[in-house]
Order: sequence, then structure tokens, then C-alpha cells
Amino acid sequence: MTGTILLVEDNELNRDMLIRRLVRAGKEVVSAADGQQALDLMRSEKPAVVLMDMNLPILNGWTACRQARADDTIKHIPIIALTAHASDADRLNALEAGCDDYATKPVDFPGLLIKIEKLTGNC
Amino acid sequence: MTTSSSQSTTLWSDLLLRAMAELRELYNPLEDQLADSQREDFAHLFDGSAKLDEMLQQSAPNRHDLMNVLSAIRGYGEMLREDLATEHAELDSALTRLLKGIQAANSGGDTSEPASATQRTITTEPGFILAVDDLQENRELVARYLSRSGHIVVTAAGGEEALRSLDQADVDVVLLDLVMPDMDGREVLRRIKEHPEWRATPVIIISGRQDMDGIIECIEAGADDYLFKPFNPVLLQARIKAGIERKRWHDREQLYRQQLERNEKFIRATFGRYLSDEIVTDILERPEGLELGGDLRRVTIMMSDIRGFTSLSEQLEPAQVVSLINRYLAAMTDIIMAYHGTIDEFIGDAILAVFGAPQYRDDDADRATQCALEMQAAMEEINRLNREDGLPEITTGIALNTGDVIAGNIGSERRSKYGFVGHAMNVTSRIEDVTAGGEILIADSTLQSLNNQYRTGDSRELKVKGIDELLQVHQILESDR
Repeated sequence: MTGTILLVEDNELNRDMLIRRLVRAGKEVVSAADGQQALDLMRSEKPAVVLMDMNLPILNGWTACRQARADDTIKHIPIIALTAHASDADRLNALEAGCDDYATKPVDFPGLLIKIEKLTGNC
Repeated sequence: MTTSSSQSTTLWSDLLLRAMAELRELYNPLEDQLADSQREDFAHLFDGSAKLDEMLQQSAPNRHDLMNVLSAIRGYGEMLREDLATEHAELDSALTRLLKGIQAANSGGDTSEPASATQRTITTEPGFILAVDDLQENRELVARYLSRSGHIVVTAAGGEEALRSLDQADVDVVLLDLVMPDMDGREVLRRIKEHPEWRATPVIIISGRQDMDGIIECIEAGADDYLFKPFNPVLLQARIKAGIERKRWHDREQLYRQQLERNEKFIRATFGRYLSDEIVTDILERPEGLELGGDLRRVTIMMSDIRGFTSLSEQLEPAQVVSLINRYLAAMTDIIMAYHGTIDEFIGDAILAVFGAPQYRDDDADRATQCALEMQAAMEEINRLNREDGLPEITTGIALNTGDVIAGNIGSERRSKYGFVGHAMNVTSRIEDVTAGGEILIADSTLQSLNNQYRTGDSRELKVKGIDELLQVHQILESDR
């Protein structure tokens, strides 16, 4: 059992799809639509893993990631960056911000599940 | 966006949108059999498709947004495939193609499919296309495909609407769905092919693969081409291109025909006064006849003159002169035209006519001679009418000469006429000078050109300016035939 997954995605269409798929895969999901909400939910829900889009309103994914890493109460929660950019620079940006892994859109769902299992299993 | 990247956008988005259109078609009859969650997945999928569509309309869609939509489409597509693939093979293949399109989008436009057919771009001049389909998705899909290649697309959701559109615009090609609720495609086709103006508009029938009989029926009823649903966009473009070309040919042909008719009218109006109908028709039928350039021709020239007309006219009222001369010229013109002579000019009471131009015939000299004989014979009737009207009797002298002249449009651009120049013209005039009333004098050259025998009278010799030898002329009395 993975535990709760926090999905941070501002795009409603993609958010709904991922929630739907994760639920179908037997996961428990909470979701946020911006970086600030994401940090709040990380603190209150203590999710097992965070799937975070990087282009977020209010607080972008990179900043949210850095702030999470600076917060002792949530710095251990693994974050998988969801990015539309597959380039090395973007991957590095996400990892530099403190993300543990990344998945590029359009998301390869089975691959994402493996990443989730790997990260939550490690914890 | 660079050209290459927009081209690859076209590639994968075509794949995607095509697959999406197939899915819509497959979904409709399936809808009732699906579970709620599956129906929702479909709804989300189509929702994503609509968003994608919207984005692709933009010149440079935001990559992040694009990827989110593609991600959503991929997710719903994969979920549906997981659920439905085993039971619905068609759905499975459409979904697989959809996912392949997403894969292609993600890898920058590469498809794992052999891409030769998909990548072929068909260039064609833009046309005005009427797409008739009762399903909105199909209309939109066609409109998108075709407007991307520069065509103007109007759509109609049914037969009545299609006919209204045809009435309002000059449509190049009609894409016609065969099965429609309000008016069947066959009926729309029938109306198009019955209409005097629309009938030349190519009609491409779109139908399901199973309806081959319907397609055959439509082709027999005048449809120009057909496409099976779901259609390959490249094939669609190829058919459209062929249709537009067919229409353009027809339009050009019609334009040429109108121009020809105008030219023909002009030529008839211009030449009809001088040439027989038959010659005008001959000119019109020969393509080179429209360009009557000057050329050297051997012709038989006729000149006729009323003897003593100048002094005669001085004794008459002007109105009498005109009616006298008109009666004479009208009768002579009829006869000359009957013998296919070309009247070059009326000079007062004199007639200058040519046999052998614009068209040479073997019997030019014979016809000229026969014509002269008939003209002389007609004087009897003219004089009878003159006597009735209290006008003086008149006599005419006719000279014939055969020789080379330059025939063609002579003059300036503002004023030109089909005319003749050459020494032979002057020689004819010289012969005419010595012809007596009621007499026909022909030059030796004309006599040598005759095929038939004529009874000749006196022969004379004339001195002509510019020629050292004396000119032999012969009196023609009547035909021996």
C-alpha cells in the first residue's frame, strides 16, 4: 500500500485524468492546483509521494519544491516532477530544485506507477 | 514555428484527429452498452480532443498546455483501451492509432508507421469546397483537413442546407455523405446533376466501406469520385485536387467557348457583309482562320461596273440613284456570295470581288466565270424592275483576271479590313475599263485556269502600265455545259 498521493496539476483536464487513473490503479489521491496549495497539503496530509507539475500558478513547481526541501516537516516526502519538457536542462532544473524523479508529459502511466512504487518503497 | 516543426505538427495532429473522428463514429452506436465510467472516459477524451483542436488553431500553441492535453488524451485513451480492447477490435485499433499519434507528437513528429503516404503533401490550387455531412465531427474534421491545405470550406448538415449553399456560392467540389436523415445523399446528388449550373460541379461521395452498392449507384447517377469512411486525409486531398482540376477545366472550357462565341459573332458581323455564310463558317472552323495574316494567294479577281453610271446619276434624283444602285448591288451581292466570292469593296457602282480568298478552291476561276454569266443574266430582271419604277435601264461590264495578290488584314490597328493588294488588282481594273455594257472580259490567265469549257467571243490585246507584253483578254459568251 502506497499511501496517499498528492497530485499537483493546474490543468484540469490532465489532473482529472491522472486522478481517475490513479484511483483505478488503487491509489488514494488528493490534488492541488497551485504550488502554495501543494505545500499546504503536504504539511496537512503528509502524502506518501507528490506528483508535481512544474508550471504552476501562484507558486511554481520549482519554488514549491525548494520550499518543501527547506521545511523539515515535509522535506522527506518524495516529489516526482511532471514536466512538458523532455530536455536535459529541464530535467536538471527539476532535480536541482529537489525533485526525486521526473516524468514528461504526455505521461507514460505504467512508467509513472513504477516510479511511484520505487520511491514509496524506498521510504 | 519553423516550417519543419509545423509540418510535423500537421503529421501527428492529423493522425490524432483522424483517430479521434473514428472513435466518435465508433462510440455513437456503442454508447448504450458502456459502463458509466467508460462513458465518462469517452466524454473526457472528446473534451480533450476539442481542446487540442482549439490549440491547433493557434499559430503557436503553448507547449506546456499542449502536452497537458495530450497527456489527458493519452490517459483516457489508455484507460479505454485497457477496458474495451478485447471486446471491440475496431475501437482497439482506433485507440492504438490515437496513442501512436500522441507518441509521434512527443517524439517530435516521427511515426513508427511507414510514413510515405502520410507525409506526401499534395499541393493544389485552393478551391471552394462544400462538405455535406449530418455529423458535426465529420464536417469539422473535413473542414480542418482542407482548410489546412488552403481550401475554403463551407459545411452543410443536410441536403436542404447543401442545396442552399450551392445556390449562394460557386462551389468547386462537393463532398457528400451518402447517409443523411433529412435528404439522402442520392437525392442531393440527383438535384445537383439535374441543375443546369451545378451539374458540372464534381461530387465526391463519402460512405462506409459496406455500402459499395450505394457508391456504384451514385457513380451511375453522375458522382465523380468516392471515399470510404474513415478516410485517409492524403486520399481526401488527392480526390479534392482531382475534383478541383476537373472543375477548373470545365470553367476554362466554358470561358473559351464564350470567347469563341464572341469571336464568332464578331467574325460573322465583320465578314458576313462580304463573305458567304459558308466561307465565314469555314474560317471559323479552321483554327488558323482566326488569325488572318497576310499571305500570297492566287485568286481570280472580278470587277464590275455600270456603264455610264456617272452621267446617268446626274440626270436622276439622289433618292432614285440610291434605289437604283441598291437594287443592283443587292442582286449582284447575292449572286457573288452564292458562288463563294469575297466582296472586297463597293466603289460607287463598281464591285470588286475575289474568288480564292480567304479560301482557295480548285474551281475559283470557274466559279468567277459562272458568277459573271449569272450576273449578266440577272440584269434582265433588274431592268424589268427599273422600268416598273420608272428608272432607267442599266448595263454592266464585268472583268476577270487571275493572278497573285496579297490577301489579309490590311490597314492599321484602328481600321483594318480583309483586303487584297497586288498588281493583278490593277490589271483587272485596266480590263474593266475596256469592257462594254453586257460584256464579260476575262484575262488570258483566267482562261488558262478554267476547268470547264466556255464559249469565247473576240479576243483583244491591251497595253497595261508596268507590263511590257500586251495583255490578252477574251470575251465570254456562255457556258458550254
